[in-house]
Order: sequence, then C-alpha cells, then structure tokens
Amino acid sequence: MMQIYRVAIREYLENVKTKGFWIGIFIFPVLIWMMIEIPKFLEEKGIPTRHVVIIDRSDGLGEIARERITLLNRKKVLTALQTHIAEATASQREEMMKDQNIDIGELLDQLEQGLDQLQRSDVEINPFDPTKLVEMGDLVPEEMLLNDGQWNILKKMVLNQLPEDAPPFEEPTPRFQEVALPPDISMSQTDQQIEEQLKGYLRGDQPYSTENGDVQLFAMVTIPARALEPGEDVRFWSSNLADTDLLDAILGALTEEAREREYARQGIESEAVAEIASLKVRSVNFDPNKSEGEEKVGIRDKIRQYAPIGFVYMLWVAIFSIAQMLLNNTIEEKSNRIIEVLLSSVTTNELLLGKVLGVAAVGVTMQIAWIGSLISILHLKAGPSATWVADIIAAVITPELLVGFVFYFIAGYFFYAFLFAGIGSICNTIKEAQNFMSPLMLLMMVPLATMTFIPSEPNGTIATTLSWIPPWTPFVMMNRMAANPPAVEVYGTALVLLVSVIFVFWASAKVFRIGVLRTGQPPKLFELLGWLKSERP
Amino acid sequence: MSHPIELKNVVKTYGEFRAVDNVSFSVPAGTVCGFLGPNGAGKTTCIRMILDILRPTSGSISILGTPRALDVRTRIGYLPEEKGLYKKMTATAIIAYFAMLKGVPSSKAKTTARELLERYGLGSFKDHKCEALSKGMGQKVQVLASIAHDPDLVILDEPFSGLDPVNQGVMEEVIRDIRAQGKTVLFSTHVMSHAERICERIVVINAGKLVFDGSVENARSLLPRRVRVRGTGVENALVNLPEVIQSGPSSDGRDDVLELRLEEGANPQNLLQTAFEKGVALEIFEVVDPNLHEVFVHLVGEEAREAAVR
Repeated sequence: MMQIYRVAIREYLENVKTKGFWIGIFIFPVLIWMMIEIPKFLEEKGIPTRHVVIIDRSDGLGEIARERITLLNRKKVLTALQTHIAEATASQREEMMKDQNIDIGELLDQLEQGLDQLQRSDVEINPFDPTKLVEMGDLVPEEMLLNDGQWNILKKMVLNQLPEDAPPFEEPTPRFQEVALPPDISMSQTDQQIEEQLKGYLRGDQPYSTENGDVQLFAMVTIPARALEPGEDVRFWSSNLADTDLLDAILGALTEEAREREYARQGIESEAVAEIASLKVRSVNFDPNKSEGEEKVGIRDKIRQYAPIGFVYMLWVAIFSIAQMLLNNTIEEKSNRIIEVLLSSVTTNELLLGKVLGVAAVGVTMQIAWIGSLISILHLKAGPSATWVADIIAAVITPELLVGFVFYFIAGYFFYAFLFAGIGSICNTIKEAQNFMSPLMLLMMVPLATMTFIPSEPNGTIATTLSWIPPWTPFVMMNRMAANPPAVEVYGTALVLLVSVIFVFWASAKVFRIGVLRTGQPPKLFELLGWLKSERP
Repeated sequence: MSHPIELKNVVKTYGEFRAVDNVSFSVPAGTVCGFLGPNGAGKTTCIRMILDILRPTSGSISILGTPRALDVRTRIGYLPEEKGLYKKMTATAIIAYFAMLKGVPSSKAKTTARELLERYGLGSFKDHKCEALSKGMGQKVQVLASIAHDPDLVILDEPFSGLDPVNQGVMEEVIRDIRAQGKTVLFSTHVMSHAERICERIVVINAGKLVFDGSVENARSLLPRRVRVRGTGVENALVNLPEVIQSGPSSDGRDDVLELRLEEGANPQNLLQTAFEKGVALEIFEVVDPNLHEVFVHLVGEEAREAAVR
C-alpha cells in the first residue's frame, strides 16, 4: 500500500509541476469567460443596423414588407427591455425565490400549462434562463406591436415595472432600416438597371449615402407588380447569405397575404380559416416508471433526460486529459529505463495502480478546479441565473442518478486508464503509441456521436446494445440513467463493466510486466495475446 | 547468512534460445564479486532473475535467504544496465524517491540524498534537474539512488560503462566504501581492470554457461606464468628446459626480450637458478603473472569471437 501511495504521490507532484497542467487549469475559465463575454460584447456593440432598399412595384405589398421590419425592430426593443428589467430586478427576484421557496419544476410546469391554455404552442420555454423563460416579443400580439399608439402604451407599461433606482433604459438600435434610393437612381428605371447600379453598394465597394451619413448597404428587395401570382418571384440581393431573418419575415408576410387574398377570392372567411387552423389535438404524456399519481411527464422530465449529457462530457474530457499523461509517463519510464529500478522496488501491480491513481488525482484536481472556476464565473457573471440553473439541475438529479454517475465515472475512468497505461508500456516512443491510440480514439468518439440521440430514445435497440459493450457502458448508461432503464440492464451492464475493468487491469499488468522490459518494435497483436496467456516472464 | 546470492542450475530460455544455461554460483557475504562475460553472455538476464524481474525457466535462486527478491527489496540496491532518470526531477528528489520506495521515511530519505551527493562530489548539483546533468553525473546519481536506503546487498549492472577515467575512479571508490561497511556487492562488467582492482571473487559466464567461479588468484592461476629474460646465451640455456612450454619475443613489444611460458605449477626460481648455473649474464629477469584480461580472453575468447561472427 505504501508503495502504491508513494508512486501515486510522485506521479501527482510531477504532473502538477508541468506547464501543461497549469495551462489546462487556466484555459478552461478563460474559455468560459470568453464564451460569456464575447456574445455580450457583440450584443452591446450590437449587430449594426442593416440597411435595406425596397423597390416596390406592387399594389401595397411593400407596406407589408415595411410592417415586418417594424415588427422585427420592436421585438428587439422588447427583448432588450425584458433583459433590462430582469437585470434591474435581479436582487428582488432572488429574494422572492428564497422567501417563497418556489419549486422551480412546478413553476415551469405551470408556465407550460398556461401557454397551453392560451393556445400558444409557438412560444418556446427556455428553462435555463430565469430572466427570459419566454420571449416577451413572442407573447404580445402582432397587432399591438404594429399599432404605434398601442406600442407606445405597451412600452410605457413595461417601463413602469422598473424600480425607481434602476438605470434608465436605452433603446437599442433598430435591426433593419429602410433607406431611399440614391439621388442618381430613379424608380423609373427598370429593375435590372437599378439592380446593376446597386451591385457596387451591395458588394461593399462604395459607401451608401443616406441622410444619416454613409452606411453599408445590406440588401435590396424587389417586389414585382404581381408578386403574389405564381411564376413571379421576390428578388433578394445581398452579400450576406447567412442572415435570412429579413427575407424570411417578408416572405412569411407575403405568403400570408397571398392566402388571405385567395380565401377572399374563393369566398372563404379568413376568420373561419384561422379558427380551423388553430384546432389542435393535444396529448398528456405519462411515464410508467414514475410512482403512482405522478406519472405525468412534464418539462422537468425532459430536462432530466438531457442532464446526463453534462456528465458524459465530463467523463469524456477526464479520460481524454489523462490519456496523454499516462502514455507520456509510462513511455518516459520505459524509454529512460527507469522502470527496471522501479520494478526492483515495487511490484508491477503496485506500479500500475500507483500511476493510475496518481494521474487520476491530477485529473480530479483539474476537474475540481474547472468546476470551481465555472461556478465562480457563473456567479460573478450570470448572477442569480446560475443559482436558478443549479436549482433546476438539483431538482432533476435524484440520488440514484448521482450514485450511478459516480459509479460510471470511476469505472469508466479506470477502464481507460489501465488501457492507456498498458499501451504506454509496449511503446518506446509517443509516435509508436499514436498508432495504438488512433483506433482507441475512434472507439471513444462513439459515445460522443451517440450522446445526443440516446436521450431521445434511451431504451431503444441502439442504446441497449451499446450499453452492453464495456468501453461504452459508462457513457451510454449515464446517458440512459434518467430514463429509468430496466434493472436487469442497470445491474447487468454494471457487472459486465466491473468484470472488464478487472480484466483490463489484469491484462494491462501482464502486458506492462513484459512490455516495460522489452525494447525494439512494439509487439504484434498475436504476440500480445500470447503474453496474456503466458506465465510471468 | 553466508551467501546472499545463490544460483542453482538456473536456466532461462526464450523459445529455442538458451540465454542462461544451467548456471550455478554463489556470492559469499561481505565480498565484492565481479560478474564477467562478453556482450550477450547472459549477465543482465542473470541479474534480472536474481532480482525476480524475470523468472528462471528452471533452477532455483536464493537472494538474502529467500527466493523472492521483492520480499527483501528494502535490503537490495540495484543499478540496471541501462540507466535512466526522470528528467524533470532534481537529483535530490530522485534519490530520495527511490529510497522512499525502499521504505525509508521521507525526511530521512531527503537528508541521506543530500549527504550522498555531497560526499561524492555532486553537492553543487543537488537541486539541478536530472536533464541538466551530464551523462556521468546522471549515472552517479543513479548509483547513489540505488544505495541510499543502506542495502545489505548491492547489485550493479555495468556501473562503469560510459564513465570517464576520473569518474570510473569515483565509482571504484563507491564500491570500496560499500564493501568497507561489510556489504556484499555483485557487479557486472567486461572491463577487466576494474574487476582486477576491486574484486575478491569473479564469476565468468559465456554464452549462457558458467565458465569460472572463484577468487581472482584462482583465475590468474588458470594461465601459465611467464618469464621475460634478456642476456647473452639466455636462449640456449633456458628454452629447452622441461618446464618451458613455449618461447618467443616478448608480448610487451620489446624485440630483444625473450618471453617464456612456463607449464602450470612451475616455479620461475628454477629458471633463475639454471641461468646462474650455466653462467648466463642476465640483464632482465621478470616474472609476469597473467592479468585478468588475459584470463578472460582465455576463458571466453574463442567462443566469444565465434558468437560475434555468428
């Protein structure tokens, strides 16, 4: 025991002293910080207002397009307002949450039911952002947003929610802004001529002059005279192919208009159509695994299904980060011939266990540092939202889940650690080791690839099959845990996994024993099998 | 315990190849024993078997009274043939680490490590990382690492290889110091001059077989003694004597000196007396004892060369 401990301590201290370790420790919070700050920075700096030219040859369809632009701009204002109020009332909300001991799961369920009653199945709930569970812009009817008077009243009403000491609200710049044609181009020219002349502006070759100064022209939309008739297309010119929000909004509105006109032509009342369209068959979902009376599946259960992904990632990163360390260390000992002295002092098993435990301690240190920095950054940056998310996760993670995660984490970790140490022992250089590593890495990609679709069918054939294959058991079973897989599978796969961990340890110790004293070419696969069968050398 | 190391009929085969073939020898306590043999003779394999790093195919090995070296690992010091150190550890740390693996408490291990480094001239390097040490220094650190836990038995595989003459001297000093403390030392080498200077016993193996086991004197007596002479009429007077089995020019390169090989057990004094009786005016009369190098070549020469050609 003492020897294992000493080998582990050395392994730990030596790894902790490396630059790589500290880079690993610090890169994570820096990345997280950047992930939070950069979008914020971009948002504050804002996507600049996009300037659009609209050539309208139709009977008023241009107005519909302009309405859409107004709608997009006002929704943006509402979102900004919502964020502003949420920030200003953050501390109040936190106190309320504390005082009233609100069950977040319950709250989300109620919200979902409420939306259901309003028949707003188009509104999405984002359970991870307490300041914006739903977008305010999604809830307010479009007519209210388009009516200038109502819009101003709405804005005032919302602003009244602000506490008195709150900083003033600054309205964000509009998303889209229509600009008039340049003086040298007139509407009397043909579409082709106008398009030809505007190309330079659209390419960004020359700045576009407006009354507010020079801007970059984002797009040109040409609505032909009979735009709503078949065979006639709206023409959309832009260098930016990624931002299709404007086009989508305009096309959506024109399609609606086309339908309205067609209803009118065929003598159908559009109200009737809207009523019919809103008809919807709804379902209530039940889960037979849940206890009597609580079988109803709610938003909590959906989150629960996906929560394990975080753990799968953690295990994966943990294994990935130790793989290199174990390989490097074993190869160093081997190529430096230190191993022989070691083996005259400790048994192979002691050495192997000591190394794996020492490196495991390094991994755990790194993970604790990561989790610690993640929590502190979230607290600093996201404030109460972090608590909310933590509460949600706490609400969905049951003790059984946690026990499962701990078990699979440890078992999975040791499975791969022994494997890597075994591989290290038969290679003399990192380059040789890479040959063995590539198939292993492929093996390790499978759980990453399946991670996203297993939660959607946690007890399906693929998930069940993968669970029984030891290298994947920890990942896949973690993924499935929330879906209450059959007990036979839980205990069966756990047993298979345990047996394989012991087998991998035994095989690695054996290969280690022979491999570390061997020089020259790494052994062929058949030779390795022979080693396993052989007695000690 | 009279014999810390005892090998009985030890065989080690790799497939068809007999790396060690029925070797038996023992090393008495408190002696420095040279383990000699040409390259590939099986020295390292033997040493690894003694240390239980490899298992013999057949035969038995006893080390400090037990068959398993790991049971008595705290009493054994070992320097392997191919030497290496953790590059990023300091000299002190690495010596202390190996001592700790052998059961020395950590604070004592560190003190001992510093003391040893001071004593053998590495005091100013004690906080240097091993990658900053020269090869010779690194090797010294390794030897010190193998004896830092004060073992009863020290096994050194090629301790002199790669060292300059000054450091070879230091190494000899280390070995003598260990013996002075009453410890037993087994070291392998193929440089005979070291063995000659510090060994009491030698064990010679060749192509896996034991070819000699005994004291250095015994080894020397394997080869006939030689007498180098110069003087008028010396050739006529001495060459035909019955104890002279061969004569020729001196092997040390002096053309005018005659070298006579004597038969085993012959007394050189007889030659001196005969020369006086015959009135030869002797200018040089030297009795030359065979050195270990010659004994070695005699013992393993032919086969080793064959093996090399093969």
